[in-house]
Formats: sequence, structure tokens, C-alpha cells
Amino acid sequence: MDADPAARLRIESPDREICVRAENISKNFGGIRVLENVSFEIAKGEILGFLGPNGAGKTTTVRILTGFFPPSSGRVWIAEQDLARNPGRAKQRIGYLPESIGLYEDMRVEEFLKFSGAMKGLKSAARKEQVAQKIERCGLGDVRKRLIGRLSKGYRQRLGLAQALLGDPELLVLDEPTNGLDPKQIIEIRTLIRELGRERTVFLSTHILPEVSMVCDRVIIMSRGRLVASGTAEELEAGLKKAREILVTAGEPWRRDEAIGLLRSLPGLEDVRVVKEEPDQVSFSMTVPADKPDPRAEISRLFVEKGIALLEIRSARLSLEEIFMRILSSDDSAAGEAS
Amino acid sequence: MRKAFALARKDANAYFQSWAGAFAFAFFFLVAGILFSIVVMTYSKISLDVSKGYQETQGLGLTRFIWGSFFANIGAVLIFLAPILSMRAFAEERKQQTLELLFTYPLSDFDIVSGKFLGMVWFFEALFLPTLAYTALLHWLGVEPDWGPVLVGFLGFWLLGLAYLSLGLFVSSLTDNPVVSAIVTFGLLLVFWVLEWVVSIADGPSARLLALLSPLNHYQEFTVGILDLSNVVYFVCFQLYFIFLAMRSIEARNWKG
Ligand SMILES: Nc1ncnc2c1ncn2[C@@H]1O[C@H](COP(=O)(O)OP(=O)(O)OP(=O)(O)O)[C@@H](O)[C@H]1O
Ligand SMILES: [Mg+2]
Repeated sequence: MDADPAARLRIESPDREICVRAENISKNFGGIRVLENVSFEIAKGEILGFLGPNGAGKTTTVRILTGFFPPSSGRVWIAEQDLARNPGRAKQRIGYLPESIGLYEDMRVEEFLKFSGAMKGLKSAARKEQVAQKIERCGLGDVRKRLIGRLSKGYRQRLGLAQALLGDPELLVLDEPTNGLDPKQIIEIRTLIRELGRERTVFLSTHILPEVSMVCDRVIIMSRGRLVASGTAEELEAGLKKAREILVTAGEPWRRDEAIGLLRSLPGLEDVRVVKEEPDQVSFSMTVPADKPDPRAEISRLFVEKGIALLEIRSARLSLEEIFMRILSSDDSAAGEAS
Repeated sequence: MRKAFALARKDANAYFQSWAGAFAFAFFFLVAGILFSIVVMTYSKISLDVSKGYQETQGLGLTRFIWGSFFANIGAVLIFLAPILSMRAFAEERKQQTLELLFTYPLSDFDIVSGKFLGMVWFFEALFLPTLAYTALLHWLGVEPDWGPVLVGFLGFWLLGLAYLSLGLFVSSLTDNPVVSAIVTFGLLLVFWVLEWVVSIADGPSARLLALLSPLNHYQEFTVGILDLSNVVYFVCFQLYFIFLAMRSIEARNWKG
């Protein structure tokens, strides 16, 4: 079910203005290679989703992009600035919301934002204005005098977003911004991100596929420290939905070949095969392309017509996440055993 | 440098609001107060003996006695104080996982380390400057000290404090546990203190080398009002060395949060 290799790593058209360029970055932690030659570009104004299962190396990539630690090899440019050579100027252009954001628990919300503004080099008048503006933007008005240690998870996340936005950086790097939030807050944060994405470049790391399709222009997928796919959300989803599977269990194993023949005669069913054969029943599986209608009604009608006992018919249509995980696990098994 | 100052201000504020800061304040005032009273009382006892023929010129003798013994003893207090003041510097940031923000803000490593250092230096200064009030107290009592040696003493105390704090800053950059940082810093300072003992007992070239390295040895001359440039240079080098180590330590930042 893999797309052809050429489509997996697509080369960006060179005429677009580039905001982030990562070139062959690798990272080792004590001899263990966590990132392996990762290269990608983000065009100016693009919202790029960065997908991958736990431990894929998303946070590591994000930390390299934001200059938290350097890559073991490879280079990063942020808006034409080499991150290794001009860290100050490159970082000036980044607003970063870390994965599980650590905050100064005994500072107050507004006080912390003023401090953040100072760290970003905002002078006092501009700082005051920016802080007020981001408090408003991120809905922190009610808690501006509250101790950060007493904030709920949702407010902490908003505060993290507010500090990232201070100074209006042209690149926003968000590492799993909706992690641990309740559904209402998730929707609010996503809406906020989408709005923010109108004005700037966004790099959104997540392991939630729908989040990406809702928010992002384009997606890159990482597994086990390597990039395995890239494309728009629609392209990826179309590719993934091919994995939709139908399972049919019939009651009379001796009529197996007849049943297979019936199934193969139906248009749009691919890869029909027997998956399990027991003394009193037999199971078939087949896949259906995303653009074809659900064939289950047709199958049951056909079986009843021929008098084959139909015990079960099930569409193994997986949720997007599950299909996504499946692709990645097939990548895992292809690469050997998962570490 | 403006960013370093802003970071220092944040840290100094945090010290003032933390239990460690409150404890340091209480501890220092208590010990300095007790020490000062003891010294003054001892002096007045000796002064009463003047009638028995023990003659001493008022100005220098008084300064040397009161401030000399005060500074000589308060130096030891720093061994306890410096670990408490420096333990939060990096260890607390690592514990709260706030370094990820700090290191991704557009700050240079020098901004970060100097900001961290300044933060605790400011708190330390706020802590010991009120002891100048003791001098004012004596003045009010009608005793005029010799200001030169007193100021030299304060300078020495300040330099010793900064040296200890720079060592604590480095230790703090190695751990994510403030308590561990405090204990290790205390241990190292204790080694320096013991070094001073060894020096005073032993003799020979190795003892002389140790004497050269021992901060207390250099501090001693300040307490008796001697301002020797080489001692100032020693303390400046001591600080720069540990600040340099702290910078190297945060440069290699492959830790998790
Ligand atoms: N500082 C570190 N030292 C050693 N190993 C590390 C360090 N940071 C990350 N790793 C390892 O690198 C791998 C990738 O981790 P990373 O945090 O980048 O994954 P992730 O894609 O962000 O996962 P998640 O979805 O759980 O956030 C993991 O195996 C992790 O254990
Ligand atoms: Mg992560």
C-alpha cells in the first residue's frame, strides 16, 4: 500500500520563499541514533503538519529547529539565518510552544509574559502593548494576575501560546499543542492556530491525524527518526483510505471457492483472499478503494441469492489514526524490529 | 546585556519570594547580629581593662578589633550561605523544565550565565549591605571607625561571596535537583575551608601552593584592612573560571527538558 518512492519525499518547488530549511539533520543521544538524515523545507506562510507516533523523533526535530540543542550533523536555516552561526537572529524569528511546557510556577501570568517579552528583546513600551495584545488574543484576561502554578492545563497551554506569540515571530513552532486538553479546549486551540496560520508560518507537530487535516496545508510524516511521507492532507488521506478492509465470514467451508468466485466477480473489490479457515466456517478479506461505494449490501445480497450462509460481514474501516499507525508499523517491520 | 539584566531581575525576585531566600535572610541576619554583638561585647570588656594599664589607641585598634574579627568570622558563614543562594540558579530551571524556553529565546549563553550569576549576586548584596548599618550604629554610639579598613573588609567579603556563588552556579548547572546542588557546593566549599587549615599547619612548597589556591587565605588580608591587588585578581580569576565552566556546562545541553 506504499505510494511510489518518488512521491514519498517530494522536492519543493524552488520558486517559493522558504522560511525553514532543514538539511540532513541527524541526532545521536549517547550513541543511539534518534534522527537519521532528515531534510525538509517549509514555505513562507505555510502551515506544515509534522506527524509521527510516540518516540518517532518529533520533539527532537522540533528542539533542533528551535535551537534548544544542536543536531549531531546537518544544518538548519530559519528565514535565511543559519541557526548554528547566527543563533540569536534565527531564534528572534521563532515562537515556540514546547510539548509539555515548563513554566515558572511561582510567577504570575502577566509578570511572566513581561519577562518573556524582555527575553525576546522587546523594549518596555512595545512590551506592554504586546503583552496586553497576546493576553487578549489567547483569552488570558481572567487569569492575568494568577499564579502560574494554579492554572489549569488549558490555561497553561494558552499561556505557552501567548509567550510564543510575543514579538510576532514569523515562524510558530508548536509541539503537540492540544495534548491533554479537553475536547472543547482542543477545538478552541485548533481554531486559534488556524487563525494564527493566516499571518505566519506554522510548524505543528502532532500524532493526531484529523488535527492535521483540519489545520494544515501540508504534512510530513516521521517514523523511527526518518521522514517516510509528505503531501497535502487530502493526498495522504486518499492514500491511507485504500487500506480500508472488508471481512466476510461464511458458514460452509466446502463452498469456499464458489464464494471467492462470487466476491471476485463484484466490481471494485481488490485483493480477495482467504484469511482463516476452520471446520465450520471460512473468512475472506478484501480491500476497497476510497472512491468506491461500500460493497457490503451487495455482498450479502449475492450470498443470500446463492444460498451461502453468511455469518458475519464487517467493514474493518479503521479510524484515520489507526490506518496511520498501521502504515508506520509496516514501516517499523520493514526496518527490522522496533526499538 | 539588557536581557541578562532582565533575567537577573527575575531570578532576584524569585529568591526574595522563595523559602530559600527567606531562610537565607533570617540565617544571615541572625548570625551576623550575634557575631557582631559578641565582638562588640568582647571589645568593651577589653576596653574596661584600659584602667588596668592595657593601652590602645582608639581609632585603628577599634576598627581592627571589631571589624577585623567580624569579617574573619563572617567569611565562614558564606560556606553555608552560598550553597543556598546558588542552588536554584540552573537546578530549579531544570526541575521546572523551563530551560527549554530560556534556551530557545534569542539569548546568548553568556546572557544566560551572566544573568543567572547577577541574579544571585544582587540578592547576596541585598543581604549583606544592611550590615553596613552596624557601622552606623557604632557611629551613633559615638565610636568612629577607621573607614578605609572597614570598606576593604566589605570589599573582601563581597569578593569572597561572589567567588563562592560562581562555584555554586557551576555546580547548579550540573544537576536538576537544587538540594543536590546545595550539598555538593557546600562540600566543595568545605574542602576549600579545610585547605586553609592544612595550609596553616603544614609547611613546604606544596603547602605554599595550596595557600595560593585557598580563597580564605586571600580573604584574610582583606579582613585586616590590607588591600592587595593580587588578592583582588585572584578572586576575579576564581569567578571567571567557574563562570566559564558553567558556560561550557550549559553549552553541552543534551538533556531532556
Ligand atoms: N535527551 C535525550 N536523551 C536520550 N534519548 C532521548 C532524549 N530525548 C529523546 N530521546 C529519545 O529519542 C527518541 C525520540 O524522542 P522524541 O521525544 O523526539 O519523540 P516524539 O516523536 O516527540 O514522541 P512523542 O509523540 O512521545 O512526543 C525516543 O526514543 C527518546 O527516548
Ligand atoms: Mg514529542
